Amino acid sequence: MHKILFLIFFISLGAFAQKEMTPTEAAALKAKVKTRADATTTVMSEFTQYKHLDFLSDDIVSQGKLAFKVPNLVKWEYTKPFAYSVLFKDETLFINDDGNKSNMDVGSNKIFKQLNQLITASIRGDMFDDNEFNIKYFKINDSSLVYFLPKDEQFSKFIKAFHLSFNAKGDVTEVKMIEPSDDYTQIKFTDRVVNKNLSDAVFTQ
Amino acid sequence: MRFLLNSLCFFLLLGCASYPVQNGFESKSDSPQETLNPYFANAEKDYVYKAKIDAFNKSFGGIFIVKKLGPEHHRIAFTTEIGNTIFDFTFEGDDFKVNRILKELDRKILINILKRDFKALIQEQSPVKNHFSLKNDDILQTDILSKKHYFHYTNNQLNKIVRVDRNKEKVDFSFTNIDGQFANEIEIAHHNFKLQLH
Repeated sequence: MHKILFLIFFISLGAFAQKEMTPTEAAALKAKVKTRADATTTVMSEFTQYKHLDFLSDDIVSQGKLAFKVPNLVKWEYTKPFAYSVLFKDETLFINDDGNKSNMDVGSNKIFKQLNQLITASIRGDMFDDNEFNIKYFKINDSSLVYFLPKDEQFSKFIKAFHLSFNAKGDVTEVKMIEPSDDYTQIKFTDRVVNKNLSDAVFTQ
Repeated sequence: MRFLLNSLCFFLLLGCASYPVQNGFESKSDSPQETLNPYFANAEKDYVYKAKIDAFNKSFGGIFIVKKLGPEHHRIAFTTEIGNTIFDFTFEGDDFKVNRILKELDRKILINILKRDFKALIQEQSPVKNHFSLKNDDILQTDILSKKHYFHYTNNQLNKIVRVDRNKEKVDFSFTNIDGQFANEIEIAHHNFKLQLH
């Protein structure tokens, strides 16, 4: 009985905390992100990644830095617990795995590209692509949560959904990639610095 | 000419000799009942390794994860650094289940290789068929998935498993940098590809 009451309590709390946006509110969010994106040339941010696998006792936590420069240079640099970085440049994926450099990656290539497109697009403001995704908008207090459900059947077998969280200013604060098994990877961004001069040297491996 | 013939005979003999004979193992009469592999035996622990696979002149990395879920019950997964699952298998008793595998890797031959390797990697106990010694090492022979495996122990610590087929070494599993019941580095070396776990 205790359990049932507990569950109902949580469901009602959940419904209260996360509310679907009206079309007007969704349009306002899009406009806000777009305005912010137009004024953004570079972004640097720290991130913490939580890989959740249902069968593990704890999430696998890793940390690193993200650097972005218009139009589409993106570098993910993991520093803990392993040194590993991925650079997207000229439509190529460059990997530096603790000193071992390569420019191929079996499996993750398409996913990285998609994720990269999403991050890049969210910064630039053209991410809300109804051709690629079924999109749902929610608000939680003064922040926003947007679900992107890939329309591509092959892709959706790999990633069921992307959930992006935005703060009140329209910055992406969190990305969650959910696999069909409901295992997920959650990336939280902190210490975001916008429009600081970033040399091209940052985007080399 | 006689010398040549002699060496030829010797060579042939060596080629036919069993793996223990080839390697100078000495047979021992007393045998423990079971092999023991403690490296994936703690159900409290999430085993997370950074992994590198070198195969077909290509190299790719990821995270290798093992979780013991119960007696003779393990889950093994391989993900990219960013977290996408490449494969996810369950071993429970004699059962093996593919929970998930990337479409590009969904080949029966590859799945069978991985199944054999991981079964040998996580098998905690297996009945001993023969017991040998080599210098200070104890070597226990057992069958895993109907293949001969030799478990090498130094001072009761498992440091190598060798799979042998038709008297030839097929796969080497080396456990190094050992910390009690945990191997910080594991290398699975095939004749044609290598999996390193750190």
